[in-house]
Amino acid sequence: MDLLSNIATGFAVALTAQNILYCFIGVFLGTVVGVLPGIGPVTTVAMLLPISFTLEPVSAMIMLAGIYYGAQYGGSTTAILVNIPGEASSVVTTIDGHQMARRGRAGPALGIAAIGSFFAGCVATLLISLAAPPLAAIALEFGPAEYFSLMVCGLVAAVVLAHGSVIKAIAMVVLGLLLGLAGTDVNSGIRRFTFGFQGLADGIEFVALSMAIYGIAEVAHNLERKENEVQIAGHIGRVWPSLSDMRRSFPAILRGTGLGSILGVLPGGGALLAAFAAYTLEKKVARPPREFGHGDIRGVAAPESANNAGAQTSFVPMLTLGIPSNPTMAMMIGALMIHGISPGPRVMTDRPQLFWGVIASMWIGNLILVVLNLPLVGLWVRFLRIPYRLLYPAILGFCCIGTYVINSSIFDVFVLAFFSMFGYLCLKLDCEPAPLILGFVLGPMMEENLRRALLISRGDPIVFVTEPISLGFLIASVLLLAVVAAPAIRAKREEALQE
Amino acid sequence: MNVRASKDLWAGIMFLGFAVVAVLAARGYSMGTAGRMGPGYFPMALGVVLGLLGLLIVARALIAGSGAISALQLRPLLVLAGAVALFGLLIERLGLVVTLLAVIAVSAFASRESRPLETAALAAALAAFSVGIFVYALRLPLTIWPSF
Repeated sequence: MDLLSNIATGFAVALTAQNILYCFIGVFLGTVVGVLPGIGPVTTVAMLLPISFTLEPVSAMIMLAGIYYGAQYGGSTTAILVNIPGEASSVVTTIDGHQMARRGRAGPALGIAAIGSFFAGCVATLLISLAAPPLAAIALEFGPAEYFSLMVCGLVAAVVLAHGSVIKAIAMVVLGLLLGLAGTDVNSGIRRFTFGFQGLADGIEFVALSMAIYGIAEVAHNLERKENEVQIAGHIGRVWPSLSDMRRSFPAILRGTGLGSILGVLPGGGALLAAFAAYTLEKKVARPPREFGHGDIRGVAAPESANNAGAQTSFVPMLTLGIPSNPTMAMMIGALMIHGISPGPRVMTDRPQLFWGVIASMWIGNLILVVLNLPLVGLWVRFLRIPYRLLYPAILGFCCIGTYVINSSIFDVFVLAFFSMFGYLCLKLDCEPAPLILGFVLGPMMEENLRRALLISRGDPIVFVTEPISLGFLIASVLLLAVVAAPAIRAKREEALQE
Repeated sequence: MNVRASKDLWAGIMFLGFAVVAVLAARGYSMGTAGRMGPGYFPMALGVVLGLLGLLIVARALIAGSGAISALQLRPLLVLAGAVALFGLLIERLGLVVTLLAVIAVSAFASRESRPLETAALAAALAAFSVGIFVYALRLPLTIWPSF
């Protein structure tokens, strides 16, 4: 069978000593940054992009992927023990998880979070290996018109799911697209938006831009708040949940996994949305519902399963279509490009080792994570005692080194400094950076596909509506926008995205 | 509410500013036609769209108002951006160790809670760690010491 031989290919790659090591490094770092509230997977992946340059592509992707789903595990630890979300996607876990901890049930809360995450991770890995090949096969048939409309749809979805004002998010996408165009135009050889800077001839360095926004600007923003003494719920106790806990949680884990897997695939989706949706769903369908908010174990099981499932299935559009669904996936695309691999449906056929190796590594990574997280929870808690005043200079130093080494370019370091100020301004003005990053990554591809589509149709834009698949994507985009504009849903959305 | 502190007003102005730069620059590139797009076509289109969005955001902020900007604290930002720029200025002249020590020392001024001894220890540890990882383990092209 195809699936089995594919998975066998994957494990052959992922189980080499070297790749297990990088998988371990990835999930280990992921857990650490997941536990630490001031630093997230996007920042970490950005900081490690330059390092991944020195590795083989498959090892690099395995490590970077491990950071993303590893952070989902780590985030729950902080949420449960300290009542601070270590990661944005574990915000809802704080509600019931911390209540459990305050009632002396921190152990089972951590246990069920890890078990749920592991189960979700396994299911999601299987789903990816089932769903990706047909999706890539369809995508191989896409022409430029279909691709252009798909990117429009992806960007619209990213806008819809951004916090705050939709218009501002659209403006951020457009600005991102513009920034992405800077540099030498491939078709005419003309330098655009370089303003005479030699260093911009190859465009704005993606690593510098992302580290500026998710590294330095974040740090500046975090430093405005006064540092609070971390209060850790004292006794953790037995980690294994009791049999009745398991029986109660199992349906919640199933629902969370299912919902998370679906939401992860959607453009704009990923771990964050999945966790919120799963908690809301659980409150609606779980019987009896009365204990939510007072330490109900299902309120931990569902969102923690969902965020892990979502984190992993969000690799599907990235690996098969080359479309990032969230900033972390944009980084992964950046990593592929650093290695000279253009992301898209051909990755699976041209580089099966890379594709299936990364997927198989997720299984291994999840296993490592359970082992890392349950017995070693005491160690992670100790990381929480690192004060931010010691953390942020390290982040700054690694951002500088990382930006410099990627091209050995001092100019890129100044780009980093410039966009740090820009990123801070965006945070201050409530302009979400995620749409900007997605636009930046997609900018050149979008222009190229638009150019080709219109070249084929001799300049007639009707081609985007006469091709059925393209039309489908455009209708979906319009519907998404209409849905957000509708007042009733708008109120709901604000409620749902409210932290 | 004080209009001058309106978040959306300034966001709109920022987008307008970028749009103006984009449109002015794109005018210098040949436009071509839709069927044979020149290098200026897509940037010009994006610039115009961004400008319109900026205007819309400004108009909405003036009519409906928006939240006020929370107090700007420029010290952390300027110190951090300055530290980054310092890295750029020093790295090729003084090598990784001295540059990192200087950059970490400067960055400590971004937080009021930094303590001198702690920062010194941190800087030394980070410099040692970076040399170990980046230069020895990963063999990245970085010089360690100043070259005179």
